[in-house]
Amino acid sequence: MSAPLLALSAVTKRFGGVTALDHVSFDLAEGELVGLIGPNGAGKTTLLNCLSRLYRLDGGSIRFSGMDIAKLGRHEVARLGVGRTFQVVRPFRSMTARENVAIGALFGSDRARLPPREAFRVADEVIDLVGLGGRGHLLVDELTVPDRRHLEVARALATRPRLLLLDEVMAGLNPSEVAEALEVVKRIHASGIAILVIEHVMQVIVGICPRVVVLHFGKVLLEGDPSTVLKDPRVVEAYLGERYARRVRGSRGDG
Amino acid sequence: MRSRVLGVVTVAAVALFTLLPLTTTDPARAMGLPALLDRSQLRGLTTISMFVVLTSAWNIIGGLAGYPSFGNVAFFGLGAYATALLTDPDHGHLPLGVGLLASPLVPAVVALVVGFPLLRLRGHYFSIATLGTAIAFGEVINNMDFLGGATGLFPPIIRSDLLFYYLMFGAAALTVGVTWWIMRSRLGHGLVAIRENEEAAAVLGVDTTRYKIIAFVVAAALTGLAGGVFAGWNSFVNRDNVFPVDYSVQMILMAVIGGSGTISGPVVGAVGLEALIQLLAGGSGVYTQILLGVLLAVTVIFLPRGVIDFVIGRSRLTLAHFRRSLRQTSV
Ligand SMILES: Nc1ncnc2c1ncn2[C@@H]1O[C@H](COP(=O)(O)OP(=O)(O)OP(=O)(O)O)[C@@H](O)[C@H]1O
Ligand SMILES: [Mg+2]
Repeated sequence: MSAPLLALSAVTKRFGGVTALDHVSFDLAEGELVGLIGPNGAGKTTLLNCLSRLYRLDGGSIRFSGMDIAKLGRHEVARLGVGRTFQVVRPFRSMTARENVAIGALFGSDRARLPPREAFRVADEVIDLVGLGGRGHLLVDELTVPDRRHLEVARALATRPRLLLLDEVMAGLNPSEVAEALEVVKRIHASGIAILVIEHVMQVIVGICPRVVVLHFGKVLLEGDPSTVLKDPRVVEAYLGERYARRVRGSRGDG
Repeated sequence: MRSRVLGVVTVAAVALFTLLPLTTTDPARAMGLPALLDRSQLRGLTTISMFVVLTSAWNIIGGLAGYPSFGNVAFFGLGAYATALLTDPDHGHLPLGVGLLASPLVPAVVALVVGFPLLRLRGHYFSIATLGTAIAFGEVINNMDFLGGATGLFPPIIRSDLLFYYLMFGAAALTVGVTWWIMRSRLGHGLVAIRENEEAAAVLGVDTTRYKIIAFVVAAALTGLAGGVFAGWNSFVNRDNVFPVDYSVQMILMAVIGGSGTISGPVVGAVGLEALIQLLAGGSGVYTQILLGVLLAVTVIFLPRGVIDFVIGRSRLTLAHFRRSLRQTSV
């Protein structure tokens, strides 16, 4: 078996007294699609920030493509092929949508890094791919809220990542928009890019991820295929609170 | 279309400012051409060119990268001192050409060294730290005996207003050209990304530290070149005339009023404001200061992206626009 694309081992991150990540370990293979779920404050975004080296770890290690991320600069992680979105979008506001995406293609992973003219051509392709077609000339402030999410994805995708980290890109979308976004995720995955999808609403993930990891209070609660994971009483409890879990157990007559 | 108009305007302006001063020369007089400028107007144009250099160079770090340096005057002073030290008969006693070569190099090296700690700071922390650094440099130099102490240095007098006009105008053209090139290149796109959101830029692969340092060093080198030319022109350099904090403030005012982050904005701001300052020079300096203050306030409120945005037609002076810009600037 070949080495995994991404390997987390005992990843630990503290903020003062809060342990946001507590010995988190899991792997992700080349081209794999994994869901990361967990209730509010579970540590999902913190994990992403560690993966893209915005944070330094307090313990453990992250290896991407065999490289120890701790030894790299933020931009070097991106150049190795880690692309990400931000849960609270962070567009370049003075730029048009197209210019935002072109930044990804101008810099990005070592496979991307195109000269300006070609970067804009790639930006146009990516804009079509994520469903922003025809709106590339708009300034960020002129985009709708769902389109700003699409822009985050487009910008990350233009870096030609080997691993794409999506932080709740579907939160706040209506059902038809979610369906569209899921199509985009599937298309990206089909092109061979490994994806770690964070969603707070787990139903979103069930349909598309063969494997999910559940984070709770900074720890991996469990991981596996979504149907088994979502039925697990520990997961129900983490999400809905203990009282609800007891009621479910009670109504089934096994509590 | 718009870019062609801009191109024509640029070429016309360069031609005008290259040829106009020639009418002051003796051969032109001999040919019977009218002198369209007098000595003091030529000196005025030299000073305007100097502020175009300072403002456009500031724009590279302050306007493009979004790191509002309040200490760029230090690079002007260092460039001036470098040239003065090399050309002063009591020191280097080298020709002006050699002295001028050092004027961008010394500030560039200094910017490289101080840039690493300074550019880790952001926003007003960065501004205050650069201001302090500039003041410290002035003080230290003022107390160094081999740099003439408080008396300063005296490069040999070269009586040619025309030479120094062309040198300063050339430095201005170079600065604008460098800005033009940067804005077209990967570097320029990276700098604007850093200004808009540094962490987002970093995760897209922009080497933010390196880019900020490059912007700072380039700005320092160009600012230093203006200092070097000034040293030769003025043939007297000390702390008070090449490290004035006013210059740091002035270049920011000019860039912001003209429109920072663009190529033409800082030029328009520098030319417009410095011309205005010179026209008002007969009166009291206090009125000039007040006028500059009012102009800044009016621009920031009504045209937060500078006069140039208004000229190009991207902003309009309406109340609706004012409300929108308030919302944008107050986030
Ligand atoms: N920069 C920070 N400083 C201090 N505490 C932080 C910081 N970032 C996160 N935390 C804390 O770490 C914990 C995990 O937060 P995180 O944002 O990773 O959760 P999340 O799983 O992304 O939640 P959500 O679903 O709400 O986005 C929370 O307790 C949070 O308050
Ligand atoms: Mg989060």
